[in-house]
Formats: sequence, structure tokens, C-alpha cells
Amino acid sequence: MPNELPLKDVKICDFMWVMAGPASTRILADYGATVVRIESPTRVDTARTLQPYHGNQLTPDSSGLFANCNAGKFGISLNLGNPAARGIVHDLVRWADVVTESFSPKAMRAWGFDYESLRMVNPTVIMLSSCLMGQTGPLAKIAGFGNMAAAISGFTNLTGWPDRPPSGVFGAYTDYVAPRFTAVAILAALDHRLRTGQGQYIDQSQAECAIHFLGPAILDYTVNGRVDGRVGNSDPAFAPHGVYPAAGDDNWVAIVCRDDDDWRRLCAAMNNEDLASDSRYASAAGRLEHRDAIDSSIAKWSRALDRGAIESRLQTHGVPAHQVQNSADAYADPQFQHRGHFVALDHPSLGKFTVEGPRAKLSRTPATVRRAAPSLGQDNQHVLEKILGYDETRITELVASGALG
Amino acid sequence: MSVLSPYRVLDLTTERGLLCGQVLADLGADVIKVEPVGGSSARSIGPFYKDAPHPDRSLYWWAYNRNKRSITLDLERDAGRDLLLRLVESADFLIESHNPGYLAQHSLGFADLAKVNPALIYVSITPFGQDGPKANYADSDLIIMAAGGPLILAGDADRPPVRLSIPQAYLHASADAAVAALAAHHERVRSALGQHIDVSAQQSVAMATQSNILGAALGSVEPRRMSGGVKMGPIEIPLVWPASDGFVAMTFLFGSALGVFTARLMHFICEQGFCDEATRDKDWIAYGEQLFSGAEPLSEFDRVKQVVRNFTRSRTKAELLELAVEHGFLITPVTTVEEVVESQQFASRDYFQNVAHPELGESFRYPGQFAKFSATPIQYRRRPPTVGEHNSEIYRDELGLSEREIAELTRAGII
Repeated sequence: MPNELPLKDVKICDFMWVMAGPASTRILADYGATVVRIESPTRVDTARTLQPYHGNQLTPDSSGLFANCNAGKFGISLNLGNPAARGIVHDLVRWADVVTESFSPKAMRAWGFDYESLRMVNPTVIMLSSCLMGQTGPLAKIAGFGNMAAAISGFTNLTGWPDRPPSGVFGAYTDYVAPRFTAVAILAALDHRLRTGQGQYIDQSQAECAIHFLGPAILDYTVNGRVDGRVGNSDPAFAPHGVYPAAGDDNWVAIVCRDDDDWRRLCAAMNNEDLASDSRYASAAGRLEHRDAIDSSIAKWSRALDRGAIESRLQTHGVPAHQVQNSADAYADPQFQHRGHFVALDHPSLGKFTVEGPRAKLSRTPATVRRAAPSLGQDNQHVLEKILGYDETRITELVASGALG
Repeated sequence: MSVLSPYRVLDLTTERGLLCGQVLADLGADVIKVEPVGGSSARSIGPFYKDAPHPDRSLYWWAYNRNKRSITLDLERDAGRDLLLRLVESADFLIESHNPGYLAQHSLGFADLAKVNPALIYVSITPFGQDGPKANYADSDLIIMAAGGPLILAGDADRPPVRLSIPQAYLHASADAAVAALAAHHERVRSALGQHIDVSAQQSVAMATQSNILGAALGSVEPRRMSGGVKMGPIEIPLVWPASDGFVAMTFLFGSALGVFTARLMHFICEQGFCDEATRDKDWIAYGEQLFSGAEPLSEFDRVKQVVRNFTRSRTKAELLELAVEHGFLITPVTTVEEVVESQQFASRDYFQNVAHPELGESFRYPGQFAKFSATPIQYRRRPPTVGEHNSEIYRDELGLSEREIAELTRAGII
């Protein structure tokens, strides 16, 4: 008998949109939660407009970002400002264990869907709000995206070269960090409710949870008064530690020596007797001092070689090395393939749609991606009829009211 | 009351997986850090308090071991293994981040411990997962970022791809592990059974590609790295813009949701005299499609970006932030760590928490609650433990060993 998905009994009414929010409920959907994702029929989810695109064409369903963040969910389109939508929302909240939203603060209150109102509808509901800066404070009103939270929480300034303006961490960085904390918070609150019968409200600032990923740098300032800057690819303890050119256009390989043994093995793998015997390079302190010279020697060696061959050769010698992978490399990567990282789903209009698989393997109750992300309003009938138990007359009236768009 | 206070976690992680246990500890679980005699390898990672290396003064250690207790234990010897098995009997979770197979070699693998405690959730955090062609690869943060996809996307076009200067890979993996552990726990409430959780850091960091890892599978164009932005095909999209005293992050994009913000900003820029009305009145909703189709030449987009740059450069970061709050522009300052810690916003939410270090006679500000729970607020109950700080408390008071047994184990170097 197949084992049941871990969260098969968890029901989520999900108002979240764009990336940070939906990425968190995607994780919970993989573990078996039933997630009803509410979308505005007029205000298109920005994620639907962002790269990468299925077939390299922008259409309403072709965003790989949207598909990846919303696989496994049911989709219903609702005009939240329409009075007839109000009853549907209340019924979904009654049905749900968890309500999630990621609008800027006050939006839910303006619709009458804030926690104080919704707990009147469902007294034990768990509600989580996630936004850039949190529900309170002088910057609570700042709307926007994870690239902005990454800037104001220190990540952007810490990525790049010391002699240049910040390169900036790629994209909406806090949107990659926050979803894990969101999912953890929801699961913890569910456990608490199971034991006590008590629901609660959770106010998550995407910036505040992400700052834990800069913990040592924050403490270096609060303890030592030091303000860390960006350091390219160098490391305070390891050398060499860098990204080196390989044969071909924009091809690179990352190489790291964690200790003196790694260094001796690297020199052996490069067949470089001169480096191996240079006493200045025998210790980490010496290699850190002469890191530019060492980097030049490695680059001179690597430049003409195939990056995959460098990776294999160095790893065979036990030296940390890996080609720098773009999406084509990752798709062909034997380890990603072994892990089943890429999952091709059937999409109603686009054929096969590939998304990322679950990120953790559970031995007895493995997570699974059950369906492709919904088109706008794809599951209106299913949600109203099967989940909320509305009869056909009522559904027809709701459609006529414009509540569904 | 803390959310996870009924549960006990044994944290056997090396320097790789510390955040997972800390998340559970912040939520109230009793997390016992099980360290080798002499202390965890993570304690040798800098920076250090007053820059003086010392196992109890690593700021890396401090950052990820708050709210945990510490015992020392030599797992490679039978007496140490036996003690761990006694602890496993009453544990709900075990987290480890050794190379695949290491703990199984010492008869402490999942199969071994499930016999002692079938309800145990056993979490393994490794570079590439428990098996597969790269499972035994030598690794580090930079290697994982290269293998998992984020590295190629960041950096200056004329230099190699670049990582975030503060290591990130195992934080992503640890956070995924914490979610998985609690999902497995939710199931255990029904089944009374534990299981093994296998987390690959390579897969976890793929999250930091913003789904661009799917590009090849979907037949989409590969983005190219560009300082302060991203290049899609021939179109350069800046995300970092100059201010008069530094930089700001600004979302200057198009489409039905974002074009509205861009139109609002362009009206303001025009009012301030930085552009003409024709520039102001471009169709910012359809502008992206016009660029992709070629209807709007890239040279014109370059001119627009220069106009916007002239405007941002005329104001300080603080002035631009004030305008963003007042007018709803999508702008935040690019801040240093100092500016983050001293920010009014975080202060108004009591974010940074003072943690007392009585052994040093000082208190320090730590990053605060990762979320605000109305019924079960996260509490900072303990500063990060010194090496084996809770040996007596746990071995004597909780496991019931006698003083003599403890002395013998200590003499033998087991604890």
C-alpha cells in the first residue's frame, strides 16, 4: 500500500502571489497539502510575466517561474472587491486550516479579510502574512519585490568585487530564503494547534527572516564593529578559492582548497611541480598572501581545458571543483538527474511542462508534484462544487455576478 | 509557551547544517548539539570575538547555535556510541551533515537508529545527497553554488561569475531540511513512525536561480550576468541604480502589474524636469513586449535608462527611500551591514535582540525572530553554548549517570 503524503489532511487558502509566498505553499503542496490558490482575474500575477518562458514565448501560462511556484495547487479566480466573492472567501476560510497572504499591509484589511475578521469566520484558523518589511514600522508600506528586500537587508552590497560597484546578488534573493521560513512557521503553528486547539496570526518580514543568512556578518558588526564588504570570490580562510576560465565561451570552473592536503592534491592534478615545491605556498597563510599569483597560475592551466574534464580530474584527486553550471548544464547534470530534480508535468495546453522536483527526499512518505500549475481560474468549478459543495444553481449565479472575473 | 517545546532534537551536524537545528530551537525544541570532544569544527570558523580565535568565540558558531545546549561525545568509540543510543531513545529528531555513509560505518545510520527508536526522524544534509554519481564529491560553499545554478547568474560581464561574500549553500539546505523535518513530524502524529530525510545542498541552492534553472528544459533563453542587473537576450535590465551617495535597488519593469509603477515613477521624473512628456507617456504596460519585438529600439531604451539614471543620481539613498514611501515607488537603498543593524525599521519592530554572554560580561545584538507568532512568540532563551557546557546537566541529571561514571568517561576522552 502506498504511504500517504505527510500533509494530506492540511488545507490552505492561499492569497499569496508573485514569488516568495507561492514558493512556500508549493513546498507544502508537494508534501500533500490541498492548496487553493486565489488569483485576481484583472491584476495579473507578476510571476506570470517573468522568465524563463516555455517555448521562449510569453503567454499567460508560459512562465516557468509561475509554473514552478504553483505546481500542485488548485487555482480559482476571484474579484476580491466583488461583494459576491466575499461569501466564497468566507467559505474557503471556514474550510481551511491555514490562510496565507503576501499583499502589502492593509490590503487584506481593506477587503475585510484581516486576521481579526477571519477568525470570526474560523476561530482556530492560522493566518500568515508575508511581506517585504513586516506588517508594522515606518517602511511597512514599501511594496515591491525580493530584489528590493535583498538590497535593504544587505545582500546586494555583499555581492561583487571590492574595486567595483555591487554586482548584486541575482534577482529577488529574499524570495529564495523566505519561503522556507514561511513553510516552517506554518507547520510549527499547525503542530501547536493540534496540541492546543489554538490558531494564531504570524507576521513574517521577508527581510527579517533573510537576515539570518547574513548572521556572521551581522555579528561581526555588532560584536567587533567591523562592516564587511564584498570580496569577489575570495575566502578569509581558504586559498586558492575562485572561479577560473575554461575552454569555450563564458565557461568557468570553481576550484577550492580547504587545507594543505587539497593544495598538494591540486598541484599533483595540475602536474605542476613548481607550485607544489614553492615553500611560500605550503601553508594557507602563505597562499592567502600570494593568492593573486596562484590564481594566475591556475587560470593559465585551466584556460585551454574542458571544464567538465577539469571537474572530473580534480574531483578524482579529491579537490573540491565543479564546472559553473547554467540551465543546460544543470539539465544534463548526472547528479541532478539521479535526484530526479527535473519533473515533466502534463500541462492542459502546453504539452509537457518541466518544473523542479521536491527538494528533500523522505524515505517513507516521499513528496510528489501532483499537477501542473493552474491556468487562471482553471479550477473554479472544482473548488466551488467539490471543495465547497455549492450546487449548480449557486455556481451559475456566482459566474453571472462577475465574482469569478 | 513555545511551539515545539515538547520535542527533543539531537544535532550532530558539522559546520554544514547548523541552521536547521537553530530554527527548531528558536521554535522552542530542546536541541542538544552533540560535538566531538574538543568541540565542533564549526567553532574554528571566523570571524571571532575581538579577532582572537577561540572555540567559544566564533561568530559563525554564535550565529547558528542560539537556543541549543551542548554536550561532547566521541561517536567513533563504543562507549560514546552507546551513550548516543540512550539519547536517541528519547529523541524526536536527529540532524546530521556528515559525508554519506560516515555514520552508518559507525553503526549510527538511519537503519541502526530506527531499531532503537522507530519514531525517530533522521535528517541528513549533504552536498549532493546520499547517493548518485557526485555523492562523494569534495565540496565547499563555492562548489555547491557552481553546481546548483546560482553562481553563473551573478557578477560583472567582464569578470568571472561571483558568489555572495557570505557563504549561503548550507543555509539553503538547512532551511529545506527544517521544513522537511516538520512535514515528516506532521505525518508521524498519525503513523507514530519516523523516517529518513535526505537533503542535497545542490538541489536546495537551485532555488536561488529564480527558476532560471528550468531554462534549457523549457527551451528558454539563458540569462547572462551583468553588474547590477540581468541581460535577457540583447536587453539589459538594470536592478541596481546609482544614487548620489551610493546605490538603490529599483524595479523598473513593465507589464500589467509593474508597468503601473513605472508610469507613476516616470510622471514624477517628468515633473522634476528630467524628461519630456513623450518619454513620460510611453506605454509602460506594453513596453516589455515592444522591446522584445523590436518595435521599441534598444537605443531608445538606453536613452530612457539614462534619463532615469540622471534622476536617481540627483538624490541620496534616503531621499529616494522617502519618495518611495510617499509615492509608492519600487525603490529601496542598497545598504551596508551597519545600515541594516542601525535601521529605524528594524528598531521599530524590536528585531535585533540583545543576547547576554555572561562569560564575557557583555551583551550583543543578534538577528531576531524570523517571524512574529501572536500566540507562541519566538524566545531567545540561551546564548550559543560553550564546548560541552551541558555535559553534567544532560549526562548526570537527565541520563542519570553517576559522578564516577562521568569522571571515567571524561578520563577516557569519550566526553
